[in-house]
Amino acid sequence: MPRVPGFLRSAAYRISIISSAAFAVAILLLGAVLFWTMHLDFTRQLDFTLQDAAATLVAEARSGGENALAEAIAQREAAGSSDQLLYALFAKNGRRIAGHLRTDFPRPGLRDLIFIDPREGPDAARGLAVDLPDGNRLLVAADREQIEQIDRTIVSVILIGFLLVLVLGVVGALLLGGYLRRRLGAISGAAEAIIEGNLARRMPIGPNGDEFDRLARSLNAMLERIESLVENLRQISGDVAHDLRTPLARLRNRLEKGLWEPDAARETLIHDAIQRVDDVLRLFASILRIGEVESGEIRRTFETVDLSGLLLELADSYAPAIADEGRRFSAAIEPGLALPGDRELLAQAVVNLIENAQSHTPTGTRVALSARSAAGAVIVEVADSGPGVAKEDRDRIVQRFIRLEASRSTPGHGLGLNLVAAIARLHGGKLRFADNQPGLKAILEFPGIDA
Amino acid sequence: MQILLAEDDAETAEFVARGLSELGHNVLRAADGTDALHFATSEKCDVLILDRMLPRLDGVAVLRRIRAARIDTPVLLLTALGRIEDRVEGLDAGADDYLVKPFAFSELAARVNALARRKPLNEIPTAIEAGPLRMDLLARLVWRDGIPVPLQPREFRLLEELMRNGDRIVTRTMLIERVWGFHFEPLTNIVETHMSRLRAKLNRGGAPDLIETVRGIGYRIRADA
Repeated sequence: MPRVPGFLRSAAYRISIISSAAFAVAILLLGAVLFWTMHLDFTRQLDFTLQDAAATLVAEARSGGENALAEAIAQREAAGSSDQLLYALFAKNGRRIAGHLRTDFPRPGLRDLIFIDPREGPDAARGLAVDLPDGNRLLVAADREQIEQIDRTIVSVILIGFLLVLVLGVVGALLLGGYLRRRLGAISGAAEAIIEGNLARRMPIGPNGDEFDRLARSLNAMLERIESLVENLRQISGDVAHDLRTPLARLRNRLEKGLWEPDAARETLIHDAIQRVDDVLRLFASILRIGEVESGEIRRTFETVDLSGLLLELADSYAPAIADEGRRFSAAIEPGLALPGDRELLAQAVVNLIENAQSHTPTGTRVALSARSAAGAVIVEVADSGPGVAKEDRDRIVQRFIRLEASRSTPGHGLGLNLVAAIARLHGGKLRFADNQPGLKAILEFPGIDA
Repeated sequence: MQILLAEDDAETAEFVARGLSELGHNVLRAADGTDALHFATSEKCDVLILDRMLPRLDGVAVLRRIRAARIDTPVLLLTALGRIEDRVEGLDAGADDYLVKPFAFSELAARVNALARRKPLNEIPTAIEAGPLRMDLLARLVWRDGIPVPLQPREFRLLEELMRNGDRIVTRTMLIERVWGFHFEPLTNIVETHMSRLRAKLNRGGAPDLIETVRGIGYRIRADA
């Protein structure tokens, strides 16, 4: 690639210089067209004047003959009329017999010719030669000086305009280029700082609210979103790593211990190790499932779910299991509830809430599943009469890997409620918690189906 | 039983093939999709185990071609993808069962056995017998030694799954999938709870237990009890 001057590598400079150059060239083209049309127009006007004068003189010659014509010519030359025409009358042999215009014997018709100006010497003129009835030839001419004067004026005006546009254009281009470079430079500077790792850096926003400010604002909103996602991801990977370390460390210890154990104990140990690996795999499955739900792609396969039927089935399945665990279960499901969604995910959400209520409460606790429609919404509640969750912790328990101190000893990996919240969002609803006085009430709220 | 195992991961293939051989099955192995298609169309197999992601021709494509060729050998699709959409796609393509990796070998073996004894649609019985048990699938009634045993619908479905599989093991996961329609593992052992209620009803009056718990795997009917 040929080397280009530094400032031409800047798109800002290039664009403004090219646009002002294009503007200057346009001025030049326009000037050329203007010049030619005006030049032709003036020549045509001159020709009319010549024809006019020639016609008058020919009429003179017809009525008065050669002498009258010579006299008329002398008269016109003496008068020094404003049109500044020059005259010559030639005999058939080409000798000038009247008039002061000194030039060669012309052929008939309109043409450009050279004459001898008494003051300036040879000079250009426009002439019209006509043959008279008596065989003489009359030449009427006009000095081109006038037209040339106009031509020169037009050309200089155009050239001055061109130069002015060029100079102003280049200056403007440099200023505009510098401005663009400065504004874009601020943005790319911020971008580079972000690349360097300063994720908190934002694009500068000027006071004018122009397109750069709008761009900066959108970029900042995007950066905000990215930063929170990155932060979220960082936290999750940290949490995953932490949550994996403990079971994997225990697993490792077990396996090492297996090396010393007698053969009989080894089988139990291997079973135990498999169990622990399965726990870790379940954690991964949960993370992947949450990701899948959050992507929202499952919405494509949504169908109308008979929520009342589904909840009755769940109640039917869970009542004995909860009773076996020493807790009392009751269900109050309004019939005819339906919503567009994924049947299995909705089941999983409610199952997670029921299991949560069961595993974080003491025996004897009442667990109640209820569902109703209210003000166009479908509300599913799982309430328990257990110890409840402090108000300030209620928002936190939905977050990934959040396990309150009180539940450290119970099984689970702190993803259950996060998945429930993700499933609620997938269905356009939300998960929130309230005080059941006593106990905790998990409330799933979905937009109702349009009847 | 002759089983085609199409699995490109050598270690998984070795693990599964060895396990199936020890159970007395004859295992044909294919490491890519075109080989799998070739074996599936030219050999007489009882069950096809297809990995979803095979080189050259993926498992779902192989499955579609097998079904297009009107070969209705039962197919178990293996996958490392646990996504809901992938499962739906696999079943739509004509898979009879779907197992997400990693899996316990006992789970795979139970599913292969269940698939192998699956009867064609026109041979589905209206009644099943197992030892002292008799089940009327149309009236949805159960008798033990001729005495009716009243069961809840879900208990009936549990027993039906066990009896349909004869003396073969039905895993806990299979029961959750087939009786509840869940493809996730609830923490609560709802299968165990309902199974113990079913047992209590079947074994009323101290009769011998007809349901054997296979520890860590699942359950099976013991017709000889």
